[in-house]
Amino acid sequence: MRNNLSRWIYWVVGLVILAIYPQVVGIYYTNVFVGFAIFALYAVTLNLLLGYMGVLSFGHAMFFGVGAYSTALALTHIQGFPLLPALLVGGLAGAMLALILSPLLVRVSGTAFAMLTLAFGQLIFVLALKYREVTGGEDGVGGYPTPSFNIPGVVSIDMTDQINFYYFAVAVIIVCLWVLWFYTKTPFGSLVVGVRDNAMRIDYLGFKLSHTKAVNLIVSGCFAGIAGAIYALFQNLVSTLGVLDIGTSFAPILMAYIGGLGSFFGPIVGSGILHLLEDVTFRITEQIELVNGLVFILVVLYAPMGIVGLLRQAKAKWFHKEKVS
Amino acid sequence: MSPTTAMYVAQAIHGLAYGMLLFLVASGLTIIFGMMGILNLAHASFFMLSGYFCYTIITLTGDFWLALLIAPVGAGICGLLVERFLLRKVHVQGHLAELLLTVGLMLVILEVVKAGWGTESMMIKMPNGLDGLISVANMTYPVYRLFVIGLSLVVLGIMALILYKTRLGMIVRAAVSDADMVSALGINTPLVFMVVFGFGTWLAGVAGVVAAPLLTVFPGMADQIGMDAFVVVVVGGFGSLIGAFVVALFLGELNAYGIQFIPRLAPVLMFAFMAIVLAFKPMGFFGERE
Amino acid sequence: MNILETEGLYHDFTGLLVLFDVNLEVKEGERHAIIGPNGAGKTTLFNVITGTYSPSRGRVTFKGKEVTGWKPHKLTRVGMGRSFQITSTFSRLTTFQNIRMGILSKRRIRFNLFRKVDKMQNITEETDDVLKRINLDGERNLPASMLSYGKHRSLEISMALATDPDLVMLDEPTAGMSRDETHNAVELIRRLTEGKTMVIIEHDMDVVFSLADRITVLHLGRIVASGPPGEIRENQTVKDAYLGEVEV
Repeated sequence: MRNNLSRWIYWVVGLVILAIYPQVVGIYYTNVFVGFAIFALYAVTLNLLLGYMGVLSFGHAMFFGVGAYSTALALTHIQGFPLLPALLVGGLAGAMLALILSPLLVRVSGTAFAMLTLAFGQLIFVLALKYREVTGGEDGVGGYPTPSFNIPGVVSIDMTDQINFYYFAVAVIIVCLWVLWFYTKTPFGSLVVGVRDNAMRIDYLGFKLSHTKAVNLIVSGCFAGIAGAIYALFQNLVSTLGVLDIGTSFAPILMAYIGGLGSFFGPIVGSGILHLLEDVTFRITEQIELVNGLVFILVVLYAPMGIVGLLRQAKAKWFHKEKVS
Repeated sequence: MSPTTAMYVAQAIHGLAYGMLLFLVASGLTIIFGMMGILNLAHASFFMLSGYFCYTIITLTGDFWLALLIAPVGAGICGLLVERFLLRKVHVQGHLAELLLTVGLMLVILEVVKAGWGTESMMIKMPNGLDGLISVANMTYPVYRLFVIGLSLVVLGIMALILYKTRLGMIVRAAVSDADMVSALGINTPLVFMVVFGFGTWLAGVAGVVAAPLLTVFPGMADQIGMDAFVVVVVGGFGSLIGAFVVALFLGELNAYGIQFIPRLAPVLMFAFMAIVLAFKPMGFFGERE
Repeated sequence: MNILETEGLYHDFTGLLVLFDVNLEVKEGERHAIIGPNGAGKTTLFNVITGTYSPSRGRVTFKGKEVTGWKPHKLTRVGMGRSFQITSTFSRLTTFQNIRMGILSKRRIRFNLFRKVDKMQNITEETDDVLKRINLDGERNLPASMLSYGKHRSLEISMALATDPDLVMLDEPTAGMSRDETHNAVELIRRLTEGKTMVIIEHDMDVVFSLADRITVLHLGRIVASGPPGEIRENQTVKDAYLGEVEV
């Protein structure tokens, strides 16, 4: 009971902070927060593969990017395309891509999986770059209308207003994160972890390995696509260098690793740290990537369990000491 | 020779030159992978670094040949240090950590280069005597590209000698086929790893200097060859030198002819090819190990 | 009635023949031991029966149905369970979670995405029951990799049984165990396989003769003898091929 109560208190306090946040920090940091939240969701979808299933997606940007492009193209070409379907289109596109690739991806693991996803990621990057009549090439797709949040007869909220968009994006992302968190707690989620530890045994316990892997891939791809769709609405511009390039594939890996692969919330923490770091770095130097690279190296060298891992270790040590004394 | 045939031959030699360069980069990558299990994403960064070393040496001394001698050694020493002080420390954490470390390294090298040398493209003059054209059977051809092919063959020869005639080479070949055996034989594996990593980056460095006059020196100079080298290693088979050689030459030609006939599809084809090979032969055409 | 039969089973690894015309019959309810020197093809026979490989030639029949070349998950679903010679648990999951995986399979819960697995009271209870029966309730929340060797082996065997199979195939369950651990393991196996059919690969002759109702001897990929323990003990071919090397 007490546990339940404190959980409710956390939720309420958290939501209140999120609600008043834009009023306190102003428009610039409101937008920084949206960026953080999008990448938090995106990094969590990567961790569904890396931390939970034990395979490294080196081309995760393809799911994010395909989601972003689909939403942008739908908004560009279909007049009056509504807001929520725009998100769904992104999610569906990510899921479809994962579904199409899954017969090949479930066959491999380890380095081969990383390389295969890298290859497909690059393939889609090059395709988007070359087929400019659809994708606009390097310039990308931009300037499409941002639909309002519309419930006929009830409300119509203008999403070009950045504060409104903040509330919308944060709400969608919280829902998505909650769904994914719940997903990891289901019996199926426990199977996915089993695949990470011992794929062969999963098969010998009567679960079809390839299906298990494919479903997790599709879930990951779908939500990465939704993250891309929110990005498309947020930036009002989708270009190959922004959503499909290899940097976009590295970012969530870095976030997940910094935060800690072993925890659902690790990648969210990682996204927060990187966005904070980026903000601070920008005041000193333009060389964001240098700092990112150094962080990468330092984390691998000194905190392989990530920040969340470090905290857990510290906590364990602390409580252990208390017990002893 | 008719002009059309001449053009085909010229393209073929173009492709051969690129294929040989590609092999220099990919061979280091594949040996390092075969021995240490590390997929070094920063490999092409050493190619670029060497290009910058070359630029600086030429600016200081004006001597291309000196640059060709020293710059790759500089890149190789950087490689040695990276292995000794970074990769070795995360070896126990497994391949994922090593892979991610090389990602970080790639970013850092790129940014350090940008900070040190700026982001502009810098021309490297071809050395005297190699900057002209040669005419054979009423067809003219740039001497420098022939030099690229020749030099690559020399390096290839040196590599073959080391691999097949020295004790170190024997150890390397044994280790590529069975890593446990080497430690079982009581060979100092960390030292061998360090030397191999240094040698691999030296090879990338040689390619970097040789390519510098063709590509000019700029931060993105290694982008294409780096990506192509991955395709070569993956398709040729992780750890297989012969595979890397065959596929590098093939990709070189695909590049040369593909750009001429199917400019839009050439890169798409390349990655599609890699994806298909990986999906059906996860260890590549010539790879044996699981 | 035979629960498991193989007819003319052959298997080769790129030309190297490892199984040669193996005709194995396992009666329902029987405890069947497969013995033979190293390299006799025992584990390969297990792998071919349980779906790791398809046989090069021959048929496998399980419960009267031909199952040649079926994948492991399909065989598990029709009631075959298997343990491994090299311990193969989910090393980072707790003992509880390891066993629960088997219980989920037994209850046919696979793609359930709408409930938290921790909240499934009946699953938790059943898993805890199993843990108690195998004396691992004290290690409930310990990752499998932290278990002592003997307990880790017990977990390995119990996972094969958690899906409640009709036929359980144990590949050297006592491999690497001390005398005491072996004794406990034999008791555990006897208790857990009550009323089930069991096929066991075993090197320890004490274990074989105390557990088995029937013994098949495999040598160089062929069955050289098959019969009740007393008969096998007296069989001259078996003595020459195998038992002569060991004290019986």
